[in-house]
Amino acid sequence: MTDSRSPLQTLWLCEAVRLREEQTGLLEDSEACRKARSTQGSLAQRLQVRGLFLAKRDGLVTALEHWLQGAKLALWMLILSALVSGVILAKTALSGDPQAINIFWALAGLIGLNLLSLIAWCLGLIFSKQSSSPLSHAWLWLSNKLARDAKAAQLVPALLVLLQRHQLLRWGLGRLLHGWWLITLCAALFTLIALLATRRYGFVWESTIVASDSFVMLVNSLGTPATWLGFALPDSELIQQSGMQALKDEQARQIWASWLLGMLLIYGIAPRLMCSLLCEWRWRRGLSRLQLNAADPVWQVFEQRVQPGSERLGIIDVAPSSLSGSVTSSQLSGHAAVLLGIELDDSISWPPELPAHVVNAGIIDTREQRRQMLDQFTANPPARLLIACDPQRSVDRGTLNLIAELSRTAVQTRVWLLPTNSDAERLSDWQEQLDKLKLAYSCSAPWAWLEHGDE
Amino acid sequence: MSEQAAPLKLAVVGHTNVGKTSLLRTLTRDAGFGDISHRPGTTRHVEGARLSVDGEALIELYDTPGFEDAVALYEYIEQLPQADERLDGPEQIQRFLSSSEARQRFEQEAKVLRQLLQSDAGLYVIDAREPVLAKYRDELSILTMCGKPILPVLNFVNAAEQRESAWRDVLARIGLHAVVRFDTVVPPQDGEQRLYENLSLVLESQRPRLQRLIDYNQAQMQIRRKAGYRLIAELLIDVSACRRGIHPDQLNAAIENLHHDVRQREQQCVEALLKLYAFRQDDAKANALPLAEGRWGDDLFNPATMKQLGIKVGGGMAAGAATGFGIDLFTGGLSLGMATAIGAAVGGLTQTVRNYGERLKGKWRGERELSVNDSTLRLLAIRQQRLLNALESRGHAAQERIQMHTPLEQHWREGELAQPLKTARAYPAWSSLNGAKPSLDHKRIHAVEQLADSLAEQNSNMQEPA
Repeated sequence: MTDSRSPLQTLWLCEAVRLREEQTGLLEDSEACRKARSTQGSLAQRLQVRGLFLAKRDGLVTALEHWLQGAKLALWMLILSALVSGVILAKTALSGDPQAINIFWALAGLIGLNLLSLIAWCLGLIFSKQSSSPLSHAWLWLSNKLARDAKAAQLVPALLVLLQRHQLLRWGLGRLLHGWWLITLCAALFTLIALLATRRYGFVWESTIVASDSFVMLVNSLGTPATWLGFALPDSELIQQSGMQALKDEQARQIWASWLLGMLLIYGIAPRLMCSLLCEWRWRRGLSRLQLNAADPVWQVFEQRVQPGSERLGIIDVAPSSLSGSVTSSQLSGHAAVLLGIELDDSISWPPELPAHVVNAGIIDTREQRRQMLDQFTANPPARLLIACDPQRSVDRGTLNLIAELSRTAVQTRVWLLPTNSDAERLSDWQEQLDKLKLAYSCSAPWAWLEHGDE
Repeated sequence: MSEQAAPLKLAVVGHTNVGKTSLLRTLTRDAGFGDISHRPGTTRHVEGARLSVDGEALIELYDTPGFEDAVALYEYIEQLPQADERLDGPEQIQRFLSSSEARQRFEQEAKVLRQLLQSDAGLYVIDAREPVLAKYRDELSILTMCGKPILPVLNFVNAAEQRESAWRDVLARIGLHAVVRFDTVVPPQDGEQRLYENLSLVLESQRPRLQRLIDYNQAQMQIRRKAGYRLIAELLIDVSACRRGIHPDQLNAAIENLHHDVRQREQQCVEALLKLYAFRQDDAKANALPLAEGRWGDDLFNPATMKQLGIKVGGGMAAGAATGFGIDLFTGGLSLGMATAIGAAVGGLTQTVRNYGERLKGKWRGERELSVNDSTLRLLAIRQQRLLNALESRGHAAQERIQMHTPLEQHWREGELAQPLKTARAYPAWSSLNGAKPSLDHKRIHAVEQLADSLAEQNSNMQEPA
């Protein structure tokens, strides 16, 4: 599914696409989403399919390849710079009068900067959440320049955001940093060996205020770890003598050279190697655990697009072309004027004050009441029937059928839409439906009509 | 996992014009599903929708036409010639469905009954504002004849004229005791959850599946909330990082401009939040929010607004500290300081250097710097969080929730501003308000994430003791 791409690259591309969408608005992604939806996988997989598709479409994949090429090139340049730095480091450490090299200056020159940088990194590890160094910046900047692809500029932030989110940034950049120093120090070591092998150096130490005893102690305590690896440790007599002058004695030179190499190995290369291994381990472990966290709110926008929580199933049972309507008609003769309420609830006081000669037929609601009333009207058709309805109720076919049926039992029928505080929409629905039935209606009680007819 | 069972089929039934399609829209979060109008009988067909979790279809919902002529239908079913043996409910319904009237006068009702017979259960939607008329009782009798579990759903329960108790009485009398209140106008926050829980009471065998849906919905809610905090964090970082160098002669115009841009930025956030919670600005639901026509009514830069939210005006000194030594003027929510080289040295090396450069140039030209002060940030933070809370509870009982958050708001009123906001002060490039798109800087993104996390954390801390 993710063709040969590593999880890191896949997630990286997805993140780049996401960042781009966050900045410039959502991309046109109907095809990508369709592809993602057809993947019968988890949300994370679907999101990756979408991201990869968009990345491929918009050239981010080629940009990534360019960037990786650039990064490789930048890495080689860094390695080269590390080698050169190493050589320079060793050379400057042993510069000056070869017969009287200040042993402590040489040592500080070799590992001083390295130790400072290492301490800074360790402090950052403990105290700071940010993790970057000028070196990593340089590499990223160089990679961008070497990628020669405008789109590649979007990739670096995506990588950094991704790694930061998975707490890998520190280890990734640490790998770079420690690797660089490791190469530098190894280069320095070999240069040093080469220089020591081919030239004759005499070592001295100098001090105005430090007593020679403490100097002896310092050299010894610093050098002890190196002796475990077989490096020589100058004895106190040798040290004290070296304080006076550079010794011509061959063995003394060898012991000092061995001590210096041991120091470089123990305090320069070994810590860097350990840090490198630590970073490498954390990095690999992190990479193997790397997966898209679909629960992250940043993906919320896309979730419904790639994995809709609901989808329409379409119309199962089509609407009828026409609905059976009701027909009104009227009787030829009848007596009396009747007022009838239908489906009125108890909030309406019923009946209202009636004029004389108007019969109150009450309210009908249930099936039995309906049947009874229709039977009664069929036997004694009313001359004028006023049907009172509450327009607050939603008009339905059942009620309209009833009104139509009632109208067929009377000579004249009108509908009184009671003035309850119903909303205007429902009232107009009633009026529309009654118009269709061709029944007269009014919102005030037509008492005059009910009592005397139209005349 | 066991074999993938067929999805649970639910028919949404009820009288005409009670909001069946609205219920479906809410449950499916598909605002375009079906047609809705005030007219009765808008839906005349049966339409389905499927709810899935992790790609597995769990529930199929069917929207049906409204029942309209229950009284006559009941009479008709009773009148159908008696068979030799006694028929039970579903058989009687089947007999009706095969009659000719099922294709003529009662065509709509037949559609509903056919769908209910094919479903596992029915959601009977009730307009709680209606009195319990005889036609509704007949409707219920016919529907229960189908022999399917029925869960009554009371809609419009938040209306003034609701008659919930009368309905509950009637429903209890016919043995429907599990009733759900679900107002489709202002759906309660846990409405869906309760609906599915009640459904699992009537459909015991479907409990695991319904529980999955409930869990999924809750997880979604969490993610939505987090996404909301992110939007707010983005707004705050944007505004906090905003800094404009201006010439003293154009001070008033510049202030006016910045006011306008910040207001617009806030509105952008409001709209994004509304969208996140699937509110539409013209939505009836939006009325329940503390917004007027989709925007905050009170102006951001009106001192009265700050007072109303209890923020001390003039508390913006800290903001100025980042911009230089002279905080000489408080101008309606903005801080004005001389463009000086004393910037906050919080940033990385390169940025800081670049920063110094720009600022020195500014000083050379006699420019001053305009930025948004702390009080305004506090106001924005409080307002947007209130909106988020209101959106979450969908306006329902929003007042109580706001009360609950008082300690949190107090923190935003007087406490120290979060570290990412202070950091942002030193990075004008992080702001979208400085005339350019914010730089794609992973530190900015990290700051936004950090701030969003701290917002979420604060809110969850505040909610727990309550």
